[in-house]
Amino acid sequence: MIILSLDTSCDETAVAITCNTKVLSNAVWSQISLHSKFGGVMPSLAQRAHEERIDFITNKAIKKSGINIKDVDAIAVTIGPGLAIALGVGINKAKKLAKQYNKPLIPINHVEAHLLSSFATSSPNTILKISFPALGLVISGGTTELILINDIGKYEVLAETVDDALGEALDKAARLLGFGYPGGAILEKIAKNGKVTKYSLPLPLVNDKEKNRFSYSGLKTAFVRLYEKEKKLNKQDISDLASTFQDTAFEHIINVLKYQIIKIQNQKIDIKDLLLGGGVANNVVIKNKLRKLCREKNLKLHIPYTKKLNEDNAAMIGVCAYLKTKDESLIKYLKFERVDRNPKLNLRDKSS
Amino acid sequence: MNDKIPIVMKIIKENKKATNIVVKSLSEGKLVFMASETVYIAAVDATNLEAVKKLVLFKNRPFGKPFSIGVIDISMAKNYVEINNTANKIYKRFLPGPVTVISKGKHKVASGVEAENGTLGIRIPDYKFFQEVIKKFKKPITTTSANASYQKRPYKLTDILDNISEKQKGLIDLMIDAGELPHNEPSTVIDTTIDDTPIVLRQGDIKLKDKNEILSRSEENTQNLAKELWQKYEDFKGKRALIFALEGKMGVGKTQFVKGLARAMGIDEIITSPSYDLEYVYESKIKKNKLVHMDTWRMINPTEEIINLDTKKLINDKSIIAIEWADRIVDTIRTFAEDAIVVWVKINYGNNTNDRIISWGVI
Repeated sequence: MIILSLDTSCDETAVAITCNTKVLSNAVWSQISLHSKFGGVMPSLAQRAHEERIDFITNKAIKKSGINIKDVDAIAVTIGPGLAIALGVGINKAKKLAKQYNKPLIPINHVEAHLLSSFATSSPNTILKISFPALGLVISGGTTELILINDIGKYEVLAETVDDALGEALDKAARLLGFGYPGGAILEKIAKNGKVTKYSLPLPLVNDKEKNRFSYSGLKTAFVRLYEKEKKLNKQDISDLASTFQDTAFEHIINVLKYQIIKIQNQKIDIKDLLLGGGVANNVVIKNKLRKLCREKNLKLHIPYTKKLNEDNAAMIGVCAYLKTKDESLIKYLKFERVDRNPKLNLRDKSS
Repeated sequence: MNDKIPIVMKIIKENKKATNIVVKSLSEGKLVFMASETVYIAAVDATNLEAVKKLVLFKNRPFGKPFSIGVIDISMAKNYVEINNTANKIYKRFLPGPVTVISKGKHKVASGVEAENGTLGIRIPDYKFFQEVIKKFKKPITTTSANASYQKRPYKLTDILDNISEKQKGLIDLMIDAGELPHNEPSTVIDTTIDDTPIVLRQGDIKLKDKNEILSRSEENTQNLAKELWQKYEDFKGKRALIFALEGKMGVGKTQFVKGLARAMGIDEIITSPSYDLEYVYESKIKKNKLVHMDTWRMINPTEEIINLDTKKLINDKSIIAIEWADRIVDTIRTFAEDAIVVWVKINYGNNTNDRIISWGVI
């Protein structure tokens, strides 16, 4: 099944062609590189930028895949969650293409696509072997969610953030230390040379009995207070602070995950796999922590085959659309007039 | 008491047909009682001297104490008063609504309506029946409360009738019965004749230029303050856009404030930081309250970007908006203040770990 997919949920304009789970092309126009000379992106101008780039990126994705658009079986597009004005651009383009070539249009949840991004492959014959139920963890700038995947399309949200997302917290910590946006990646670099022993920060929600939520606002506040208390900070201190913040933020994830895994296992539910997705999944420290946890708990950790799949991209949208629809007829997706953006789309929603 | 004045008063129910009867009575110089969004008012044609004299007699007060007049909109008001910059802002912000704005009169109303110093109070009541009457009558009417001076506030017709003499009753030609009105405060009177410094003469439901400060000792405290502020400004819902502009350092609890605000509005979804997606929209199930939660933290050019999020339309639609990191767009928010109620909330770290000093006020 060949799918042309689009994602304009936030800063990136992304179009991809996939064949089942294989990625044929995955074109992304990153606003970050575009605007980096200003020190970052102009997020709310993303709409205009998306409109300017979408045709170019679409053509690029098609050309690189070597596929004729007439041979595409379906179009897939992100309808949420994300920035409303940005989502609209991708949806409009998708509808235009679907109409022009008389193709079905499959609406996709961006978070679900991150969740399932480990299924994406670079070669046609590899198939990810996952036994359901499995665990899924999506960590990015806008999402921090732990999910029990009972099957494709059947999800239980075990924990999600009640304030800041993990990626956002990392970005904010980096900003406080004087680095630009997006700071998460810079923070990781700085933290490499740091020790976690010099400073201490409180582990979020350590007294939560149920551990069914994440929270980063308290940690952020504690970090601001700690930073402001320290008068003269040298380069090493900054590295130590970065490293301590990052470590504490990740330990919170591990802590909640541990609790939830034990809880699931106590219910005699057999889980063997943990799927990881989202931009923060590119961070080596969290990957190592998760690997260690998975070894202890006898789980297999699945990470997308390339870093690009963790960032915002459209190939994951195509793969997700394939996984969700492979066993059904696509006829119902030919009626796509009512496909609309849903900026707060949630995995609990039926429309997901 | 021997020379009894025959009582000719008619009482009819408030409905569409009644507007024509009211308009006819007013043009005949009669004294009509009808409802407004605050209290029952005593209406006469404000340009008819005989009618005004009748009103003075009823109110039992010396000739020369002014009456405010009701009009349909600002352009009609301009026929009777000179509207300066300050007045213009107040019209935009509060009218139609329970506010009387005093400006310099143009002497186009009957003698005895304007004050001795030539000023005149204008009302644009936010009350449909009243607006229909003015629309048809095309002239201003007095909006003084329907009680005699120093008597009980008239929220129902019996409040008036039980407290006036037979002689006064004889002056009334028509009463429009709208039942018992909600017990709202009388209108707030604002004098704008000294430009740029509106002076509040009588404090109704709306306060201007208030400045407040509290010490919050917990997230719960902060959320409760948000709830109190919501209750204070809730009446503007559907009338004006309402903006909570939040200022404060990272981690100080801006999102906590919005959590409290959302809860007070009946929103039961979890409020998370909009830093990444820039904007979240929440809706409550019961009261259909809608909250737009914005954040400029991630913006590079926030002045341009906030407009790009269609904020102007949100304000036109009278939305309720909370903006985090509002201090990055102070000038833009000042321009919003022309059409919206802007409550500025500043949160500072206090001495103890959980202490926050929160100050707020309308800009």
